[in-house]
Amino acid sequence: MNLATIQHGAEPLSTQYLTFLLGEERFAVGILHVKEIIEYAGTATVPMMPDCVRGVINLRGAVVPVIDLSARFGRGVAAIGKRTSIIIAEIDDGEGKQVLGMMVDAVNEVVEIEPADIEAAPPFGARIRADFIAGIAKCQGRFVILLALERVLSTGEVVELSRHAVPLATASSRAGP
Amino acid sequence: MNLDQALQTFITESRELLADMEHALLNIDLSQDLGDQGEAINAIFRAAHTIKGSAGLFSLDHMVAFTHVVESLLDAVRDGRAVIDDDMVALLLACCDHLSSMTDGLAAGQYEADPDTAPEGERLLQQLRRRMGAGDDPAQSLAEQSLTVRPEPDVERMGQEASNGDSDYWHISLRFGAGVLQNGMDPIAFLRYLARLGRIAGMATVADALPTADEMDAELCYLGFEIAFESTADRAAILGVFEFVQDDCEIRLVAPRGKVSEYVELIRALPENPARLGEMLVQCGSVTAAELAAALAQQSQQSLHPEVQGEAGAHQTQEAPQRLGSILVAAGQVAPVVVEAALTRQKQVVEQKAQENRSIRVDSDKLDRLIDLVGELIIAGARTSVIGQRLHNAELLEATSTVSNLVEQVRDAALELRMVKIGATFNRFQRVVHDVARELGKDIGLAVDGEDAELDKTVVEKIGDPLMHLVRNAMDHGIEPAAVRVAAGKPARGMITLNAFHESGSIVIEVSDDGGGLRKEKILAKAIERGLVDPERKLTDAEIHNLIFEAGFSTAETITNLSGRGVGMDVVKRNITALRGSVDVRSVEGQGATVTVRLPLTLAIIDGFLVQVGSSVFVIPLDTIEECIEFAAEPGQDYSNLRGQVLPFIRLRALFHIAGAPTRRESIVVLRFGKVRAGLVVDTLLGEFQTVIKPLSPIFSEVRCISGSTILGSGDVALILDVGALLQAVDGRGAAAPALPALAV
Amino acid sequence: MSDIGHLAWGGEINIYRAADLKLEVLQALRAAPVLEIDLAGVTELDTAGLQVLMLAKRTATIEQRELRLRNHSPAVVDVVEMLNLGAFFGDAVLIHS
Repeated sequence: MNLATIQHGAEPLSTQYLTFLLGEERFAVGILHVKEIIEYAGTATVPMMPDCVRGVINLRGAVVPVIDLSARFGRGVAAIGKRTSIIIAEIDDGEGKQVLGMMVDAVNEVVEIEPADIEAAPPFGARIRADFIAGIAKCQGRFVILLALERVLSTGEVVELSRHAVPLATASSRAGP
Repeated sequence: MNLDQALQTFITESRELLADMEHALLNIDLSQDLGDQGEAINAIFRAAHTIKGSAGLFSLDHMVAFTHVVESLLDAVRDGRAVIDDDMVALLLACCDHLSSMTDGLAAGQYEADPDTAPEGERLLQQLRRRMGAGDDPAQSLAEQSLTVRPEPDVERMGQEASNGDSDYWHISLRFGAGVLQNGMDPIAFLRYLARLGRIAGMATVADALPTADEMDAELCYLGFEIAFESTADRAAILGVFEFVQDDCEIRLVAPRGKVSEYVELIRALPENPARLGEMLVQCGSVTAAELAAALAQQSQQSLHPEVQGEAGAHQTQEAPQRLGSILVAAGQVAPVVVEAALTRQKQVVEQKAQENRSIRVDSDKLDRLIDLVGELIIAGARTSVIGQRLHNAELLEATSTVSNLVEQVRDAALELRMVKIGATFNRFQRVVHDVARELGKDIGLAVDGEDAELDKTVVEKIGDPLMHLVRNAMDHGIEPAAVRVAAGKPARGMITLNAFHESGSIVIEVSDDGGGLRKEKILAKAIERGLVDPERKLTDAEIHNLIFEAGFSTAETITNLSGRGVGMDVVKRNITALRGSVDVRSVEGQGATVTVRLPLTLAIIDGFLVQVGSSVFVIPLDTIEECIEFAAEPGQDYSNLRGQVLPFIRLRALFHIAGAPTRRESIVVLRFGKVRAGLVVDTLLGEFQTVIKPLSPIFSEVRCISGSTILGSGDVALILDVGALLQAVDGRGAAAPALPALAV
Repeated sequence: MSDIGHLAWGGEINIYRAADLKLEVLQALRAAPVLEIDLAGVTELDTAGLQVLMLAKRTATIEQRELRLRNHSPAVVDVVEMLNLGAFFGDAVLIHS
């Protein structure tokens, strides 16, 4: 496993974001949430969970759940690519700090985005849920969607989903009794 | 080191003492006479007495004043001047509660009487006084006692002489040895001789050592004396009086206006327990009761005195009592060293008591850390073993095998630390049953069995509330009123029984009652009315009974303030399920009901068995496995023939919707959980494996069949199966898979 | 069984008789709810004797019986006063003529 850890320096980091790709789209999350980035090396599947929960991994002795962002955004289960990575993020969802992994297609660089350059999410037109979007910014000529991580990785919501559990495999590939 | 730590110790110890008091009160057999009750009453008295003394050290006047009256009543009981009965037990229990709330107030930083609870305290005090007021024995009337200092009943003293002449007297302390009489000496004769040298101004006969009638040997001496002696004789002359008994008597002498160190010595040497600062000072004559009372009255207006020099190495309570001591010192009455000496004695008594328990307090955080480290050790050990196997190095394998053995022993020892007996939890219910029974006007007793059954401390902490609900429910709805019971031919007294035992890797807790049992028709009717059950469906008795755990279910005619407040059986079930446990009820109408709670024994480390399905590895708790067999099924069925018995099975692949085709030769793991036996069909058996349970992220809280995760020696994550949940799918249904409801896409 | 038991002690109440006296008084104490001991004839009371009386008194209290000491002789009064045990024995009549 290749580990790259973001160093948290002494300067205020509230304007730094980690950008990554999902398909063709660029997303970003605040650096303060990011603990580390690792290569994707498979996950252990947890049965009876919605598709957005890919499984769990062993992160130096801790068992960390991994969220499939593609599935979470309603685009179906992600395919594993050469640059598929897991961003280990820490959020505070009201019930304490949670550490979760996010599966993305590729991780890009850390960028600076001034608050002045951030616009509110458009009321429609974005291809993901409005409440997942913290804002949209222009960065190096392209649009980047800033994610509201607490909502994207909301434990409560995932739990709610798992109550009406969605199977991991699709119906056609289900192994019959 | 500082007031806070000392206070914390006081709070902790007071809570223990109050628990002792409560326990003794609940266990007093009111049918016995005073002689047989003696030990229990003494225990109660001692607890109150010690709290009073310690509270005095911290100048917690509200506690001292309250406890004093309680102590007085208990003293009256001890002497036979008051008789302990049901009402008094209830009153004393209420006093325990009041003291408890004062202690809690202390913990929250409140050092004085809380205006909210003070009226309650007053009310209790009035009741206490009323119980004491009626003197049962007119021939024994007691003199009025002052509130702050009250002499022991065995130590009679003359009326308080408020004179200032005390310090002009010698103070003679005599403790005659047991054999003095047999050696031909008569203490009384020596006292007469002493009286010829001066005037005995004050005399206290100390008869604390006088045992009970059976134990007393009439030829041994059990008496001691504290004497205030006015005389111009010098020390040698006074000691000379006792020349012939000096081998058979402990003599301590303090000259008039004697040196401080002598008073220190005297206090330290006095054998009577427990040391109470104020009373000791009075007893040794350094301070009169009046002076002490005045000092205590003063101190509520004074702020905390800065630390007074004391002996190095003294207990941390040293600084706290300076309040009282400093007042006395300021009033020119007692030197600080005297105060400190009395404290040292107090501390010794407390320590002695603690040592008697031969146990040690451990910060639970430290314990958790230890368990974590042991867990890591296990994983690291497993990793080393895996490497050793891969390298086919015999020496290394032997070494890792040794390490594994030791690690296993360490693991077991560490887990032992977390195990606590359930007895303490059970015994809490004595009080609950006692109080609630009174409230309900029913006669209900509690029997407890299996108190020695041990379980993990975190489980114990969390099982308390659900058990409480079950007990209250049994009392409220289960046990009938006495009249109804008698009419039904049952004893008027209803019984609730708590029982605990281990069974196949779980701990089982049963709450039984011999009440009216569950009424099947009523339950069914209610369930249908609430739409919980299809009227056409035919349910077994067991299924009907278990309907009481469904949400929104309550059949009590009147919702009492005990159980029917919306805290129903469904909440109990949810709490228990959250602990990865299960709950079940069995009942016979008219005879009673039993609720059975099943919980995992330990939450930390597991002996597991690895199985593989597809590319997923799962861990099955080893003690749920009976055996493993080759896969074989009755044609077209989901059960197997195991030596003539039907073994239903679950196909794990199907249940978990794992992609891919099964291997050619599957296996069945035969599981048993409680009374249910079923098989689990898997691809491959991988063998035994001990490992640490890693709790699953809360994100998985709704996943029923997985109870946790673990990390294998290879570094991969394996999920631990919740066998109970798995088998629940089989029980009551007959058919096996897929037992979970069809999943929506 | 009469309501009030009676004992009369006389002579020297001391260590030589203490063991016997202890048995006697305990037996008498338990034979009736009230026991009266007449002490008019006591010529000497030593520590051992005193202890027996104290034990009897305490036992009476614990067992919810009554012990009354009557007609204290001067020897008894002397000891009780010197050792300040008036309250302990709780007898109404203590003053001797």
